[in-house]
Amino acid sequence: MNELDLKKDGVTAINHRLHALPENTNERHWVIRNPMGQHAIACGLDGPLHVEVHGHVGFYCGGMNKDAEVIVHGHAGVGVAENLMSGLVWIKGNASESAGATGNGGLLVIDGDASSRCGISMKGIDIVVGGSVGHMSAFMAQRGNLVVCGDAGDALGDSIYEARLYVKGKVASLGADCIEKEMRDEHLADLSRLLAAAKRKDNPKDFRRYGSARKLYNFNVDHADAY
Amino acid sequence: MVKWLKAHHPQVRIVGSGHTIEIFKEVGLPANVYDKFELDDAKGTHIIGHTRMATESAVTTAGSHPFATGADLCLVHNGSLSNHNRLRENLKREGMEFQTENDTEVAAAYMTWKLRNGVPLKRAMEDGLSDLDGFFTFLVGTADGFAVVRDPIACKHAVLAETDDWVAMATEYRAIAHLPGADDAKIWEPEPSIVYTWGGNA
Repeated sequence: MNELDLKKDGVTAINHRLHALPENTNERHWVIRNPMGQHAIACGLDGPLHVEVHGHVGFYCGGMNKDAEVIVHGHAGVGVAENLMSGLVWIKGNASESAGATGNGGLLVIDGDASSRCGISMKGIDIVVGGSVGHMSAFMAQRGNLVVCGDAGDALGDSIYEARLYVKGKVASLGADCIEKEMRDEHLADLSRLLAAAKRKDNPKDFRRYGSARKLYNFNVDHADAY
Repeated sequence: MVKWLKAHHPQVRIVGSGHTIEIFKEVGLPANVYDKFELDDAKGTHIIGHTRMATESAVTTAGSHPFATGADLCLVHNGSLSNHNRLRENLKREGMEFQTENDTEVAAAYMTWKLRNGVPLKRAMEDGLSDLDGFFTFLVGTADGFAVVRDPIACKHAVLAETDDWVAMATEYRAIAHLPGADDAKIWEPEPSIVYTWGGNA
């Protein structure tokens, strides 16, 4: 295990150190201390590293990650794991706005709450939130799964495309073109897999599923005059 | 004093008044402004710092935050208001005076006008949610505390941290990270449209 002190070295040097590791490195386990809420910590990793950050991180932590595991023992600022490609980002505390924004793949786990716009424009990422999510979550979500073990704020899934949303608690309101949908066996199996991956003990049967009514993003000849 | 200055020395720009809160403004690097006003030696119970990225009016000392909202009250703003021109004209008719074309000055004047009419600060901030159009996180400093409110869609970031010894609000956590005990503070985001207050006057 290698230790890095962000207060001493700065975020640029630390990210450079991680990026410079050769593809088949044996130095896979890294610990970052004193993150001091700095931005873009452990961003753009593209190898199978295991990075643990002890403390609270600022904006965009773990962004664009491919293959690596980034574990944050603290809270995360805006845009954590934004544009995640694959791998894992795990926040042990709460996450700020736009968690997992535009994520293409991989898994984002937030043990606490996520703020507004969680999963905005998600494109294939899986997000599991142990607590609640704020307003406008899964706005324009295209693909992937958002699992919320607590409540969801206003306008959940506004203008949603084909992402699947699972919420255990209350939904304050659904956004445009987002509706409750039938929970079939395939969805229960998918949800079980995601909850297990996030080490959650919640029962998949306690969740409701939401998704697109497909009226907004499909061309309808009756609406031709509107264009 | 404020009236006397206005009458006898109209060229003097008054940035604040009262007994507790001092307002310092200047254009330049924050570190230089900090040194110029010898803030290292400042003593007190609470402090607000604001660096402005200008969008709605020129980069001038007059356009800098905070804006006074009455005796021992001041306001800083992250965001921009879209209905400030009309609101400024309305407030002028109510007798409010303006020194700049700045949107935040309009928000400050709005609060001042509300408070002058006996509306409590928390109510004034709540009323602002419906009367001020645009996006904003406002922080109002009072004689013994402060108050925070975000617009209804929480467009602008904000984070609060609290320990047994202190409470801090910032746009992002890295401004708070240097405070003693910040790692173990209770940290949360203020929710949209909810006014948070500390201190008896807030």
